[in-house]
Amino acid sequence: MHLVSIEVSNFRNLKGVFCFEQGLNIIFGENGQGKTNCIEAIYFLATTRSFRTTNLSEMIAFGENFLSVSGKVVVSKEIQKEIEVRLEGKRKSFLVNGKKVKVNEYLENLDAVIFNANELEIVRGSPEARRNFLDSGITAIYPAYLRTLLDYNRCLKQKNALLEEAQKHDTAFDKVATMIEPWNEQIVSLASRIHKLRVRYVERLSKALQNQFFNNEFIKIRYVSSLEGKGDLSNYSSTLRERLSLRLGAEIAAGHSLVGVHRDDLEITVNDRDLKKFGSSGQQRSALLLLLIAKIEVYRQQNGYYPLFLIDDIDSELDYERISKLLELLEGKTQTFVTTSKTSFLDKFASKGKIITLKRGEVFSQSLTK
Amino acid sequence: MLEYSEPIAKLIDEFKKLPGIGQKNAQRLVFFILRKSKEDVESLAKSLLEVKEKIKICSVCNNLTDIDPCFYCTSPDRDRSVICIVEEPYNLVAIEKTRSYKGLYHILHGALSPIRRIKPDDLKLSNLFPRLKPENNQMITVKEIIIATNPTTEGEATAHYIANLIKPLGIRVTRIATGMPVGSDLEFVDEVTMDKALANRHEI
Repeated sequence: MHLVSIEVSNFRNLKGVFCFEQGLNIIFGENGQGKTNCIEAIYFLATTRSFRTTNLSEMIAFGENFLSVSGKVVVSKEIQKEIEVRLEGKRKSFLVNGKKVKVNEYLENLDAVIFNANELEIVRGSPEARRNFLDSGITAIYPAYLRTLLDYNRCLKQKNALLEEAQKHDTAFDKVATMIEPWNEQIVSLASRIHKLRVRYVERLSKALQNQFFNNEFIKIRYVSSLEGKGDLSNYSSTLRERLSLRLGAEIAAGHSLVGVHRDDLEITVNDRDLKKFGSSGQQRSALLLLLIAKIEVYRQQNGYYPLFLIDDIDSELDYERISKLLELLEGKTQTFVTTSKTSFLDKFASKGKIITLKRGEVFSQSLTK
Repeated sequence: MLEYSEPIAKLIDEFKKLPGIGQKNAQRLVFFILRKSKEDVESLAKSLLEVKEKIKICSVCNNLTDIDPCFYCTSPDRDRSVICIVEEPYNLVAIEKTRSYKGLYHILHGALSPIRRIKPDDLKLSNLFPRLKPENNQMITVKEIIIATNPTTEGEATAHYIANLIKPLGIRVTRIATGMPVGSDLEFVDEVTMDKALANRHEI
């Protein structure tokens, strides 16, 4: 599975067709020439989302009212597909071989992971970033998980509305309890499922961590339930149920929900010390790379192929030693896209892949394929 | 700026207030009506008024009806020991189409949703409890309540809420099953439905 080319219209400042190599693609250019836009377009084609914004209409070129990105994807020697995603205002539509399809069917064709400065949130930011990292990984190998997650968040929102109201109006405890009960009941069953899948996913990630890779840095991960130390986690649902009823008073006082999988975290340690607090900035980047590589490895075990691997501004995030180890590791596995503005990067890595030079959103020149 | 003369523009605006009707559909409807005979349009207008004047809510089950109590509540052929609870009147129609359910109904006209400020008191639930007494039910004891609210988080919460109120009364409470649509091919079932169907599998 690899992306042969993309064609864009009205996508930020990009113009025309971009052709790619099966292995490494180095997107080179000065600032403001469209390098990040280029991998954003690839990411959008693969996932129908952006890694820069949630307001997708920002991607539509100024003065236009729609955009489209289409791509040629080689699935196997015999099968080639043309896929296209269009955005009109806020509405997306999806085509495979010229025929409109539903989003789930569209997403079966391509997938991508991104490494950029934002993703460093996973190793140094809030627990939310780590939960999202796990949830996106699980959804990619087990699509039905998304529904569970959405339902859980919906129940939480409903419950929070009740708690907020109860706090404001000082509603009698028993009355609140009966109103909350039907939502807690669902929260218990949905949270148990989320907990089980996240624990299982972390085990799989753990096994796929290629720890020998960056020397002297031994990364370990562990799923940390917010119920840890509060009861028997092997019987998660009854522990959660108990905890929910025990903490209801506190939840009313706070005016929002305090118990559940939305308070869980992924613990990441480097040489047995907390990475977020004690890891150097270099160790944090190595750890993030190891986690992403584990993620695509688990993805491959499930789906049979690797997602596209995108790295924005590669040399500002990683030193050359880490880059060359990373590229060595990805070689022969993923189709990789990196952006750089440094000629010294080209001097060192030009032989490893195809160089695509961008100027004002267009391909200015490209190296011959190997 | 007005592209249409005023009566047309006004009717387009009225149609646009209906659910699922946008500008284009509203225009189509207006031009359809303009092509119709005066009698046809009068009959449509009359039906619109009639439905508003004649239809009321059944005082027993909350169904929409022109007689009170409604057809289902008064029919001698219905099994009065079972009551099926649904969210909306059209859910009742869906169940009736099976022709296999012979019990009574109770319509809530909504589902619990704190974010939309729909609380238990906003559901038509209070008139369910008198119905559970034999003296109000032609001396027949209600043995089972089937909760057929939608399989959404709101529908599930409503089901739990009602079940919690009824169970202490010693009446059997059941929830309709979720899973595979009959007559469909496995490959066309979405993964969430498939997942539920697998979880709720049974021995044969």
